[in-house]
Amino acid sequence: MLGLKKFLFRGGAPSHLPDDVRASLEGWRASAAPALDDLHFHTRYIVVDIVSSGLQPDSDQLLSIAASSVWQGAIQPDDTFYIDFSTLDGEGAAVDRQLAAFLLFAAKAPLVTYHVPYVGGFLQRAFKERLGVDFQPQWVDLAWLLPSMFEEKGHTVMPLDHWIDVFGLDSGSGRRDAMANTLLIGRIFQMLLVRAVGKQIDTAKHLVDESRASSFLRRNH
Amino acid sequence: MNTQQQSGQEMAVGQVEMTLRQEGRARMAGNTLAFLRNHAPFNKMQPDALQRFAEKAQIAFYPAGSQIIGPDSGDVRFFYLIESGKVQARQAGEVTVTEYSILSLGAGESFPIGAVTAGRPSTNVYTAVEDTFCYQLPAEDFLALMSSSPEFNLFCTKYIASLLDQSRRQLQLQFAQRASEQQTLNSPLAGIGSRSPVTVSPDTPLRAALETMSQAGVGSLVIAGEDRKAVGVFTRTDLLDRVVLADLPLTTPIAQAMSQNPFMIEEHATAYDAMFAMATHGIRHVLVTDAEGKLTGVVSERDLFSLQRVGLRQIRQAIDGAHNVEVLQHAAADVRQLSFNMLAQGVGAEQLTQFISALNDALTRRVIQLNLEKHNFDGIEWAWLAFGSEGRDEQTFSTDQDNGIVFLPPEGASEEALKQRFLAYALDVNKDLDRCGFPLCKGNIMASNPQWCLTLEQWKDQFANWIRVPHPDALLNATIFFDFRALFGKAELAEAMRRHLLAQTAANPMFLRAMAKNALDVEPPLGKIRDFLTDLEPDHPGKIDLKKYGSRIFVDVARIYAMASGVHNTNSIQRLRLASQRLSIRSEEINAVLEGLNFIQLLRLQHQYLEGEPGTQGDNLIDPDTLNELDRRILKESFRQARKIQTRLKLDYQVQ
Repeated sequence: MLGLKKFLFRGGAPSHLPDDVRASLEGWRASAAPALDDLHFHTRYIVVDIVSSGLQPDSDQLLSIAASSVWQGAIQPDDTFYIDFSTLDGEGAAVDRQLAAFLLFAAKAPLVTYHVPYVGGFLQRAFKERLGVDFQPQWVDLAWLLPSMFEEKGHTVMPLDHWIDVFGLDSGSGRRDAMANTLLIGRIFQMLLVRAVGKQIDTAKHLVDESRASSFLRRNH
Repeated sequence: MNTQQQSGQEMAVGQVEMTLRQEGRARMAGNTLAFLRNHAPFNKMQPDALQRFAEKAQIAFYPAGSQIIGPDSGDVRFFYLIESGKVQARQAGEVTVTEYSILSLGAGESFPIGAVTAGRPSTNVYTAVEDTFCYQLPAEDFLALMSSSPEFNLFCTKYIASLLDQSRRQLQLQFAQRASEQQTLNSPLAGIGSRSPVTVSPDTPLRAALETMSQAGVGSLVIAGEDRKAVGVFTRTDLLDRVVLADLPLTTPIAQAMSQNPFMIEEHATAYDAMFAMATHGIRHVLVTDAEGKLTGVVSERDLFSLQRVGLRQIRQAIDGAHNVEVLQHAAADVRQLSFNMLAQGVGAEQLTQFISALNDALTRRVIQLNLEKHNFDGIEWAWLAFGSEGRDEQTFSTDQDNGIVFLPPEGASEEALKQRFLAYALDVNKDLDRCGFPLCKGNIMASNPQWCLTLEQWKDQFANWIRVPHPDALLNATIFFDFRALFGKAELAEAMRRHLLAQTAANPMFLRAMAKNALDVEPPLGKIRDFLTDLEPDHPGKIDLKKYGSRIFVDVARIYAMASGVHNTNSIQRLRLASQRLSIRSEEINAVLEGLNFIQLLRLQHQYLEGEPGTQGDNLIDPDTLNELDRRILKESFRQARKIQTRLKLDYQVQ
């Protein structure tokens, strides 16, 4: 079933989408992305994390998305977002609407996560298959940025839990849900912003560039 | 099909976004709740209040060394709760930086409660000393929480009360420095204890040593060589254990029975050091030496104890044994000095004012007694009454006389003739009291005034008149005369007056209402824009009269509630405590009020002592700009407490 959809809708917006979803997608496409040359304090970053049934974006299932903005020096409870796909059967307009709602929520803000190939991979596939959207946000990938910004604490790509330990954050007991993870990443991201400013990386554009450079350099050298 | 799916189909994308944002907020709140549940006062709050906190609390990071807020950051926008890390609070401004003025806050602690409650800039600088995460609750949500959660409100109120306590300690520190030349536990050992301890050489036979002890009438001996360096101590306890029970012949040299290696301390060390050493080593004597280790004295446990009680007993003895006013004049000066020492040693305002009152009582009684030698009232029932602050046991360093006489004329005797005798007697007493440092009352509220030297029936009539017709003069009199107690003579007469007074007030509800209206005439000097109103006294611009606009407000309210609830006490603090029990006012609420009153009283005492010229009557006028930041804050909070009980009074008596 999934394969068939993939085949059918690769080209563009799927024709079966309800009108309101189409309308909001058009609105989203037409909307201008926020300027990235403002200081971090004034930039609305969206920290995002997901839960999936496995590690393969191509074959495993996306189960939930948790996101929260970091803006004006704080994680803002009034600007958070959570989708739980596990209560749906993976079909229907409800999923399309929820994915479209995420686009409206994120509003083309730079996205912060831990390990873009994983998180971004699942998001890309979902948006492509369900909404026909080629999802290419401005990513800030902490997995690559942290070792280059906090060299004294770890100089190689490590699991998130390692960084949580290194920074002495309370990771709680037992399994964390996507939101708990997002909030931990959000805290680490706030620490990283302070470090970035110290290295004269003081705008979102700089930070996104730095993230790209760090992942490129480390992958290739 | 489940509900989410159903609603998903009914809702447009925009609505779905709203729902998913709510879901996000709920999830984040759940995360925050896990932290709050582990920390007071949040763990005691109702679930809905807690949820509200969690849904509004942002998470912010402050790296080590960064300032979170300070006086320059403008009005405080957030209430901060530390999740992890450490924050240092430091007083800003021209404040002597004492140890207490730097506070270290850790996980679960919050700030700046006073500033966010008042909606003004923080007076402290808060700096992260470690990498710190805080939950920050916007000020408007904080205030909403304060008004909706009694637990949270109590926490904040208590916190502010604890500031009052801190400030008291700060005051004590100030006084301790002033008192350093006084004999306190800070005094050097050189001036304490025996200067010429009884010593014998180590080879002295026991018998000779014991004879020396017996002749000198001492309980201990120091054994020292010719170089005056002590090698041992011998006490009566040693006599039992090491001589008698050990069957040691009395010809043995004392060196064999003494305790060796006595504890020695240099004469520049303080009495406190000696006391500490005694407590640590379980010893009763400490040898005092000079820099070369030569014996210069012995300090015993008893020397140190008498140091703490210095003067109190002596003053009492001097007062009780005084045979003329001159001796009492000295005693009065000693009372003042001793009260100051006690202030320095950390006695609070409530105890201190009662203590001053107690010694002043003793002094006044002695003056009354001495004058009875010249005036004879044998066989007549009478009592000397104290009014006003003396009647309330709330005397500060400068209090003028407020007194009167009540008497019961024997049957058949001429009431007028007796009154004349009492007036002549009272005039002598008033004059003597004046010489002892209790100035004559400017309003002539004194026993030598025929108006206030009355029979029991006349007093009752007088009280009844004031209560029945509460015109302004009557109300003013009520504030002075209804705070009475018997200082000397038949206390039963005063009790009879009190029962009559309470019965009359109970029968005339309009009177208390008039009193309440009167008590609300003066408001605490809190400004709408500035912290304090300092222009209320035209003759003293820039100053606040702490009595008129401070303590009197509490005292007036206390009197009304005491009369309303039939409390016999005259002391304002006791009145408020007892009345609040009878009127079921929450004890937390009344404690905060009492802390406020105590703080204002302490400021008055401090002001009168530190700033008053010796020998002149101190005033109650303080310039708030000269207070340090913390005291200003607490004074403001104390005035707020005054306003709070006034508001309560207003409601209870429906005064418009």
